Amino acid sequence: MRVVWNDARARIGAVLVLGFVVMGVVGPALVAEPRVGQAPLLVGPFQGGIVGGRWYELTSTSLFGVSVPWVALHWPLGTDNVGRGILEQIVHATPRMLTMIASAGLFVTVLGTSIGALAGYSGGRIDQLLSTVIDIVMTLPGLPLLLILVALLEPKNPVVLGVVLSLQGWAGMARAIRSQVLTIRSTSYVEAAQAMGLSTPTIVGKEIVPNIMPFVMINMVNAMRGVIFASVGLYFLGLLPFSEVVNWGVMLQLAYSNGGLLTVDAAHWLLVPMVAIILLSMGLILFAQGMDRVFNPRVRARHAKTTGDSEETESTETPTRAVSMEGNL
Amino acid sequence: MYEYFVKRTGQALFTAFVVVTLSFALVRLMPGNPADQLRGQLIRNNPSLSQQEINRRVANYINIDYSAPLHEQYLDYIAGILRGDLGQSISQNASVAEILGQALPWTVFAFSVAILLMFVVGIALGSIMAYWEGSRFDVGTTGIGIVLNSTPNYVTALLFLYVFGFTLGWFPTSGHISSQVVPIVDPLRPVATFQFVADAVYHASLLIAAVVITGFGGVALAMRGNSIQVLGEDYLRVARLRGLSDTRIALRYVARNAILPMYTGLLLAFGAVIGGSAILEQVFTYPGLGYYIVAAVEARDYPLMMGGFVLITLAVVIGAFIADLTYGLVDPRVSTGGDAS
Amino acid sequence: MSNTSSNLHERQSGSSTFDSQSSDEDIVLECRNLSVAFEMDRGTSRVLHDVDIDIRRGEIIGIVGESGSGKSMFASALLNAVVSPGRTDGQVTYHPRDGEPVDVLGLDKGPLRSLRWEDISMVFQGAMSSFNPTMDFREHFVETLDAHDYDIAAGIERAEELLSDLYLDPQRVLDSYPHELSGGMKQRALIALALVLEPEVLVMDEPTAALDLLMQRSIISLLSELRDKYDLTMVFITHDLPLVTKLADRIGVLYAFEFAEVGDTAEMVRDPKHPYTRALLNATPNLDAPLTEMRPISGAAPDPVDVPTGCPYHNRCPMATAECEDIKPPMDAVSETHEVACHHWPDVDDEIPLSTGVQK
Repeated sequence: MRVVWNDARARIGAVLVLGFVVMGVVGPALVAEPRVGQAPLLVGPFQGGIVGGRWYELTSTSLFGVSVPWVALHWPLGTDNVGRGILEQIVHATPRMLTMIASAGLFVTVLGTSIGALAGYSGGRIDQLLSTVIDIVMTLPGLPLLLILVALLEPKNPVVLGVVLSLQGWAGMARAIRSQVLTIRSTSYVEAAQAMGLSTPTIVGKEIVPNIMPFVMINMVNAMRGVIFASVGLYFLGLLPFSEVVNWGVMLQLAYSNGGLLTVDAAHWLLVPMVAIILLSMGLILFAQGMDRVFNPRVRARHAKTTGDSEETESTETPTRAVSMEGNL
Repeated sequence: MYEYFVKRTGQALFTAFVVVTLSFALVRLMPGNPADQLRGQLIRNNPSLSQQEINRRVANYINIDYSAPLHEQYLDYIAGILRGDLGQSISQNASVAEILGQALPWTVFAFSVAILLMFVVGIALGSIMAYWEGSRFDVGTTGIGIVLNSTPNYVTALLFLYVFGFTLGWFPTSGHISSQVVPIVDPLRPVATFQFVADAVYHASLLIAAVVITGFGGVALAMRGNSIQVLGEDYLRVARLRGLSDTRIALRYVARNAILPMYTGLLLAFGAVIGGSAILEQVFTYPGLGYYIVAAVEARDYPLMMGGFVLITLAVVIGAFIADLTYGLVDPRVSTGGDAS
Repeated sequence: MSNTSSNLHERQSGSSTFDSQSSDEDIVLECRNLSVAFEMDRGTSRVLHDVDIDIRRGEIIGIVGESGSGKSMFASALLNAVVSPGRTDGQVTYHPRDGEPVDVLGLDKGPLRSLRWEDISMVFQGAMSSFNPTMDFREHFVETLDAHDYDIAAGIERAEELLSDLYLDPQRVLDSYPHELSGGMKQRALIALALVLEPEVLVMDEPTAALDLLMQRSIISLLSELRDKYDLTMVFITHDLPLVTKLADRIGVLYAFEFAEVGDTAEMVRDPKHPYTRALLNATPNLDAPLTEMRPISGAAPDPVDVPTGCPYHNRCPMATAECEDIKPPMDAVSETHEVACHHWPDVDDEIPLSTGVQK
């Protein structure tokens, strides 16, 4: 973990991801549930100025019977056109978002690694067949298929939604794992480890997992990013059933259709969910890059800057794999 | 070489076949499938219609004849698609092929330009970053790239629309050309043609900008990584020792070997970005393929929805096929069976 | 001892020197106090340390050392091609067949560019990856000729001849891409590419490391033929002492970034005087040698940031004494053609017997 912490990018990523997890787990208990008319309409963020504004109030609360100083917040990020707090909506949308992302990540990882490993290990016809399937799934343009599936299935459960939205994501992971398995199979160190009589779990744990982990992490994070973008996009288009669901995409949709683009009064309503989306996916990407450094000993050595032997100039750097080139959506 | 082409053609045809079959399965076999829903709609709206009349109308809309056995329904459906008959739109009162045929060129135009620009900008930035690895420029651009890569393009689109469309009024906020411009591409009338093209670019510019802004970061970072890797290769050191000029090394060695692996990325990007056109076209009210697919889903216009899905998927399959074939031409390792990973 | 040698003694100042030859010897590359250093966080890493050696025209000199002994840096330094941030100090003088001596380390970009490949050429250890994967071999030759303003038609003819000399089919090779040839073929094509501008010196850094034994042997014999045909001087750098004995006229053993022993091949094989050279020979698997007599060299190669004081080999040497720990042994002449840096070389025969003779 030290390595992660030593890297600025990974540090930011870890803090962001952790922040969202805390927000998702503890947040709903601390922040009031958003209700129509709980506040004045279209209040701006940090009403009255960031310092000395009316959006916060120094009070005290009793904790285990002891009175402690406390800060009461009054719609710090403003409210929407029916008087629901923006912060409240963001916070209460987080648990569903995290559930969805987690289920998508799990689904993609399980399916992607097992199919990729199967293809890589079995070779021959099974490999050919699986590779063709992987290629086809990767070629399909994701969103139109999702639009139709979502229109037909109308998933409300975040777990189901996560799985549906990542139906394509496993293919990229499977492809990466397959080629890694092929490479690792042919490398001498696994053979050497076998010859040295190391047990299979030891070989898998010490040799294979560290080599495959970066690819798993990065493809998982890419799939998660895809699911965030797609779900928010579909909620934004109003194509997912959203009457009783709070989601950042729903907020975007409501803000957009209620003139969020036209007036400065409603700009915060549009901007806050945008920032939430960007921060979460950025946190995931940075965190994955950090993990890349943890699992990739070569990069780690580079980082520790203790290259003792300059005889063989070490110039290999893993390309920034955590970034997808496939455009955003 | 020959074997490679045959293999790729076979794969493209197979993919197309899978896509069409998948669409049939979605239309006909899924629970709550469009065919059943459409029948339900027709029966609710016209209770007096006979069973045969309903089946005839369903067949008219989505090329699926309910009275026939399932395999015949399937064959008829495929035959219809091969004829270019995608059925009849319910909401738009026109044939699906007609609606989508008009929309397709706009989507292809806007997104091809966008992807091309995205790659040009990304590759240029990425190589500069690699050459100046570790510089302030490199670190800064990497940071910006990651932030932009974490931003969905519809978010950028909304911001652009807000700032440049509504607030500043510099760009149109909807449509693909102005109403007074005649859509004409005619070499004999260069002025009118230019006006049309310029107007089309003007209308698509915010959409293109949204794609480019959110996409180039990823391309730049990939290019940076590839270039740094190539810069560390033995053959680069040998090339320098052989006294080759810097320009030749930059273009023929670094750029070429760094860009080639991204070629397949371009192909995937095309599919992903075109696929994502739905949301962007909706934001900019840009009547292309994605716009109609979303409109169809909203109106539960199943023929249009499925037609859009089939067409957009086939477009991507064909694009991928072309990219595959041309990749064989630009990378010697592919066509002769080498390892081009 | 000739006049030159006595001058050398004045320059010696504790550093190792090898130059027992008189000045009428035809020297092509002359290295004096050649050092390469890298600045690192934990100190200066000196990966080549005040090396003096003369390379004679037309000879094949083998430079042997274990990995991390500075041998690759020596190769790069000869062409002033040490990659930044490495710093090369000292002197490398190139004596062309006719014309003024050239100060290789002091050359500007332009002249350095033409010196490399035209006068001194190099074959890298990574022949597998020394070619641009997206370019055929013909283009590699053409661009090289073009960059040095050589006549292309004549150059390609020469390339074809070179490829034939190396037992390759010229037409087939020229129209192939790197991935289409085997490792051994690529290695030979790279040698042809290195010789296409008719250089005088060919520096080879582990040219056979990635090849199987048969291919190594055949390349070794090809190199001798090439040397005779084209009047080449070859610097052959390897970790494989027995291999180089089959080829080289002279052998220099690098230990801890400087020469431990330099001498004619026959003497180096029959009667090496440095304990390290003996250890290298004894560690060599030989089919005739009983297993019990093969010994790995214990201990690790020294750290370039922190080279031991005195004799750098003292902490691995079975003969080491207090003297070895404190005083660095100077180069001592064993014979006219053989020098060694060891305090106890006269006793080495008794202390470390050679377990096996490597036949030349």
